Amino acid sequence: MGCPMNKTITYSGMLWLLAAQFVVMLPFTLYLPWWLIPIMVASVIWRLRVLKGYSAQPNALVKTLLVAMGVGGLVLSGLPFPSLDLMLAVLLLGFAFKSLEVVQLRDGVIVIFLGYLLVALHFLYTQEILAGAYGLLGMTILTGALIGIQPAVTVLNPFETVRSHLKLATLMVLQAIPLMLIIFFLAPRLPPLWSLPMMPGQTKTGISERMTPGDIADLTRSTELAFRATFKNTRPPQAQLYWRGLTLNYFDGKTWQQLPEDYDFINFKNQVKGEYALFNKNFELRGDPIEYEALYVPSGQPWLFTLTPTLNVEGDVIRAADYRVMANTITQSPALIKASSYPQTIRDTKLTHTMRHLASQLPQGSDPRTHELAQRWWRESGQNVERYIKLILHHFRTQEFYYTLSPPLLGDQNTIDAFLFDSRKGFCSHYAGSFVFLMRAVGIPARVVVGYQGGKWNEQGNYLAVYQYDAHAWVEVWQPETGWVEYDPTTAVAPSRVTEGSDAFLAQEEGLLRQSFRAVQNNLPWLSSLSQQLDALQYQWQRWVVGYDHDTQANVLRKWLGDFSITTLTLVILSVFVALGVLWGIWLGLWRKPRLTLEQSLMHELDQILAKKGFKREPAQTVGDFAQQVSSKQADLGKLLQQFAQHFESLCYNPMANKADTTQQLKRLLKQLKKAPITQLGRKIAPLKPSRISEG
Amino acid sequence: MTATTSPLLNAALNALNQVILGKAHTVRLALTCLLAEGHLLLEDLPGMGKTTLAHALAQVCGLEYKRVQFTSDLLPADLIGASIFDPKTTTFQFHRGPLFTQVLLADELNRTTPKAQSALLEAMEEKQISMDGKSYPLPKPFFVIATQNPQSQSGTFHLPESQLDRFLLRISLGYPDPAVERAMLQGRNGRQLLLQLKPVLSPAELKALQHLVPQIKMTDALLDYIQRLIACTREHERCQVGLSPRGALALVRAAQSWALLQGRGFVLPEDVQAVFVAVAGHRLVGRHEQGEALARLLLSQVDVVGVNRAA
Repeated sequence: MGCPMNKTITYSGMLWLLAAQFVVMLPFTLYLPWWLIPIMVASVIWRLRVLKGYSAQPNALVKTLLVAMGVGGLVLSGLPFPSLDLMLAVLLLGFAFKSLEVVQLRDGVIVIFLGYLLVALHFLYTQEILAGAYGLLGMTILTGALIGIQPAVTVLNPFETVRSHLKLATLMVLQAIPLMLIIFFLAPRLPPLWSLPMMPGQTKTGISERMTPGDIADLTRSTELAFRATFKNTRPPQAQLYWRGLTLNYFDGKTWQQLPEDYDFINFKNQVKGEYALFNKNFELRGDPIEYEALYVPSGQPWLFTLTPTLNVEGDVIRAADYRVMANTITQSPALIKASSYPQTIRDTKLTHTMRHLASQLPQGSDPRTHELAQRWWRESGQNVERYIKLILHHFRTQEFYYTLSPPLLGDQNTIDAFLFDSRKGFCSHYAGSFVFLMRAVGIPARVVVGYQGGKWNEQGNYLAVYQYDAHAWVEVWQPETGWVEYDPTTAVAPSRVTEGSDAFLAQEEGLLRQSFRAVQNNLPWLSSLSQQLDALQYQWQRWVVGYDHDTQANVLRKWLGDFSITTLTLVILSVFVALGVLWGIWLGLWRKPRLTLEQSLMHELDQILAKKGFKREPAQTVGDFAQQVSSKQADLGKLLQQFAQHFESLCYNPMANKADTTQQLKRLLKQLKKAPITQLGRKIAPLKPSRISEG
Repeated sequence: MTATTSPLLNAALNALNQVILGKAHTVRLALTCLLAEGHLLLEDLPGMGKTTLAHALAQVCGLEYKRVQFTSDLLPADLIGASIFDPKTTTFQFHRGPLFTQVLLADELNRTTPKAQSALLEAMEEKQISMDGKSYPLPKPFFVIATQNPQSQSGTFHLPESQLDRFLLRISLGYPDPAVERAMLQGRNGRQLLLQLKPVLSPAELKALQHLVPQIKMTDALLDYIQRLIACTREHERCQVGLSPRGALALVRAAQSWALLQGRGFVLPEDVQAVFVAVAGHRLVGRHEQGEALARLLLSQVDVVGVNRAA
């Protein structure tokens, strides 16, 4: 006990650190420069060689050079300057280099605590269930390393030592789980205090804000998830699942976009918010609602995809004049909304002037052949909109139009003409774009809508998963009696795109590999069921763990605790933590009163009595000695004290003494001592009986 | 038991105090050591009355007394004795050395070589002497009073800790009080009184008293205190070497003996405190201070009753 402990980290401790650092740093290679790991390994090896005596500990100059090289590497790696990526990379660089100077135990502890922080920081990049599991593994290894670097004498062989450390670490992590659950369920979900700079690693995915023929083809091939949705009552048929995202009004002859000018998000938000159609009750509510819940994968964009028209919605969203729902901010974390849509509602019973203007715009003098065709059909239909639309769709159906994901290029000018009259090959964008053009050519307000169509139903999880390849474009046409009505010209060409889903449709197009993959899936039902189950699990994780936000928390707590206010919640949490702290303290023995023996308690009482009278006994002073000391100043008190000392000595140290009697005597003496007055300079403060005075 | 013994011991103490003036506590410690059957180490400068004390102690107890001046050329044979060929019987006859006595004053023990020192210390431990395959028991009681010059003086051989441990107590006499010194200067010389000193105790009585020492009672409360003290010597940050179990036993033995001298059948913390510095002073090794100062420091820090935790 007395000897100073050796607090340097041993060889095996360094190996533990190496393992822990490796586990912590590995997942970051997906997002940050991979060469940080070799730096860390080299640092540890250097340190190990120092321990073996092969190398010298690097001096300050070498260390400075190394750090400068590392920072230079980061600069060259091209990470943008003010970004979270760069900050994390610098932290990781420090983490990697730190092992070079791990000499003392406390250095190792710093590395491990940094490791804990990094495990948490990894969740900035991904919050999937696998990342969670990996985080747990990282925590366990780090805890094992924390145990492993402690100086300890062990009789176990290395293998057994590792196993015992890991076992203890696992136990510790498991012990922390109840606390984790409490914090997860109860801790207030505070909004972030500052917003993080956009992560370049997370590029924008999903629907593009512009539609130029050729764009959506790329996207359609992506198998990434866009969002998942659950329906409260009945699941609408596949053909009705048009998930509306953006409306594209402006056409410049080649590209469709939302507005003629480019707006940043904030301005755009104000623009669409300013004409809040719902506020003016510019619609006629009809039919039964479809109630659903959707959880969106972070896309780096504000667009959310909802059924048309969604009239009630809960979540951090804004609603625009064109009945779309947008996230209030760019989605960087999974967004959850609860919504209900009324498909039979008539939207925009009156069309505002601005809206009509937007929905009728066409570029000047482009596509003369299409204009000509439109005029001809308009006349043929007798200026009847419905017949006109039928004519167009009939044209698409009967003429040699093909649905393909790799259409020929259409050039820069007169693209509609090129598509309708020459190539006749295209996908949803081509059909939707030319349909709207034909509408506007005869003065009917129309617009392109982009979003997703359909989705894949997961039987295990009872939800719909919508993937990027479900991206679609269709149109809306306005008429005075019916408001905005959706049409999907693509169905005229390729009905199976909608009825069977784009996955099936793509399979026909994309050839052998995908077909054989599908064949495997079809012939091995368990495989597809397994993948569905995994996806369902992932959904539940997203929905309940990652998506456990303030509202969900409030709901869950209301379910458990009944009605509560935020004050009671805070009080409950506080008291739970205080109670835990107190329990822990009791367990540690913080408030355990030392159990006193009889003589100790008597002595304690005596000390207190005499301390009040101004006499303090040193702990190392015996009663007899103390009595003598007091006698020299206070004869009366000293006399009593000497009696006390005598009895006390025989009680404590004379095995022959009658304990009971002596104890009584001592208690009597204590009472007397308590009452005994104090004299000052030979004069008594309190009047005393004459007999006492004569005694003194 | 104590009622009968205390007058005897008091008489012995009185007699000694007449010879050694003004050193009641030291004299009492010396007698304590004798009663506890331990050996005594006197550490002091020359001329402080060490020899007088040893001589008086022997005289009062009616014991045979011999004195050996330890010098650097002393050989073990000078102490133990030697086998000498007797031409008449044609055998070797063992001639006993000065070690064969009841009270031995080993004067200036640290002046001699470790070889001679160890001969004495072995005899102290074994209480017998082996020579030419034969054992010769030493007389009983066998009480060694060794004197030692302070070790800073030149020409001394430092006694190692293991050998210091053989001495139950280490005391020093120190300079006399001015009043006592004046009386001494006026001619009341202890040496003269020494010659007139009559034995107060017979060897048999001394032996009986020595047998009484282990019977002095100790309660749990007292043993707790002793253990707190011992633990403190081992754990205190200023201590480098704490009390060994032999040291702990010595503390108990000396405290019992002191209690007997006080005429009590049980040991009080006062008794432990009275002997602690003499028992622990030469056994403890401090980081900063000498053992004796350290022992005093520890004594002032250990709680007697244990109300507060020991420092």
